[in-house]
Amino acid sequence: MHFFDCNVFFGSPTKRLLSPVPTVEMLLAEMDRAGVERALVWHIAQHDASPQVGNQLLAEAIRSHPRLMGCWTVLPNQTREFPPPQVLFQQMKAARIAALRIFPNSHRFLANEVSLGEILEKMVARRIPLFVSLRRGMDWRDIYALLDEFPDLMCVICDHGCWGMDRLFRPLLERYPHAYIDTAQYLLDGGLEALVADYGASRVLFGSGFPESYFGGMMLALRHARIPDEAKAAIAGGNLERILQEGEL
Amino acid sequence: MIGTSPLAREFWEFGKSATCPIYDMHGHMGVWHSIYFPRADAADMMRTMDECGVRMLVFSHHLALFAPDLGNSLAIQAVRQYPDRLRAYCAVNPNYAEQLASDLAAFEAHTDAYVGFKFLSDYHGIALSDERYRPAWEYANERELLILAHTWGDSSLDGPAVVRQMAERYPRVKLLLGHSCHGEWDAAVQLARDFPNTYLELTALFDDRGILEKFVREAGSDRMLFGTDLPWFDPHQAVGALLSADISDEDRHNICHGNAERLLAPFLGTSYLGHEFK
Repeated sequence: MHFFDCNVFFGSPTKRLLSPVPTVEMLLAEMDRAGVERALVWHIAQHDASPQVGNQLLAEAIRSHPRLMGCWTVLPNQTREFPPPQVLFQQMKAARIAALRIFPNSHRFLANEVSLGEILEKMVARRIPLFVSLRRGMDWRDIYALLDEFPDLMCVICDHGCWGMDRLFRPLLERYPHAYIDTAQYLLDGGLEALVADYGASRVLFGSGFPESYFGGMMLALRHARIPDEAKAAIAGGNLERILQEGEL
Repeated sequence: MIGTSPLAREFWEFGKSATCPIYDMHGHMGVWHSIYFPRADAADMMRTMDECGVRMLVFSHHLALFAPDLGNSLAIQAVRQYPDRLRAYCAVNPNYAEQLASDLAAFEAHTDAYVGFKFLSDYHGIALSDERYRPAWEYANERELLILAHTWGDSSLDGPAVVRQMAERYPRVKLLLGHSCHGEWDAAVQLARDFPNTYLELTALFDDRGILEKFVREAGSDRMLFGTDLPWFDPHQAVGALLSADISDEDRHNICHGNAERLLAPFLGTSYLGHEFK
């Protein structure tokens, strides 16, 4: 299996982690130790400090590391804090940024058409993925409302929690063909197998949640899951590879 | 591969280890309203245990914890169906004093199944120190039984301050801090240091990077116990985290089986364990 992790950050959080990973070099060393080949990463300053500052830190950090692709953070642009979408997309392409994240609750806006319509419409048209996290800045009602307004949005729901969230994310997988979940915190015994049996393997992306979680937890779970090898390969990295290739920046 | 140690290689290749059996000291069984469990019955759990190298699961049945009308009978049945793989905690719901009295009266008849008690204070809404728990504490203290108590940081019912009172009051109880006072890690370490009868149980910690290293460093791996809440959490995820942590294979042996074997020796006997413990 080739692991391409969709859910990794680095940098120093405002509140110190027990085992922080402040630099991209440290991140790469941990990836090597775990056997993770590539990752779609973001910088914690995008959430904790400022999207613009964090985005810049991310772009600079990954520039010389082709194993890493980036995921920037955006805000509603009625305040003119970002360039227009077409310019932003050009900047993303130049910096090897393949996807976007939003943290609505943390950054005090609503994830809906009124606030984000301009950029989300263009993301849908260009199939650029949007990553949202239940751990940071988004809750289930927000996600349900967002996908109700943008049913064709390529939306990856991350960090959905270890307390068994199938009843919350399965309806989204059934209704919206471009909704995905990652594996971070999906600890449910037999959960992956049941999910693949009901929805196929194409809707699940390997995400570790590193550095708050260990790489190896869900790697070992996936390695020994009772699903076909092709399904394991798709979840480990194939699905993310496909999704990112579909995006047109 | 997730690590370079011999255990990491073995688990990565085979999903289990011939030299490192797992004793999962915090399990459940059966359905519960808030979570969809694909593998909640005893037979499905056995298959998971086989695949992950879990030799023994010590559990309390969900329905014993949440359906007072059913009590502990399902747990006892399951242990008797799989006597080499399961032991049970007698689930205590202190909202029902008559049930506790009945369970204590019948405990001796079920010593083939029970190793002690399970307390779930946050969910039952009654503090570990409450008078209604006292008969179970005293019973366990007299007989040096295990008590697995759900413990959680910042809880007035089962947080570190209450746990401290109980560990002090009942020194002969083997007190397993379920979830290790989740979130109040320093307090959990201090409890382990102050009370030799306490153990840090790791369910729901395997997803928090850094805690394992901290506990090994500050409390010692001889005070830590593997747990998954099975059928909640996939043991492979827990093992993968354990193998990813920056600790030694010797620590992993302690956590996976060495400490549990010592605690369970009086209940399982040397023929099961294959060796003696002091």
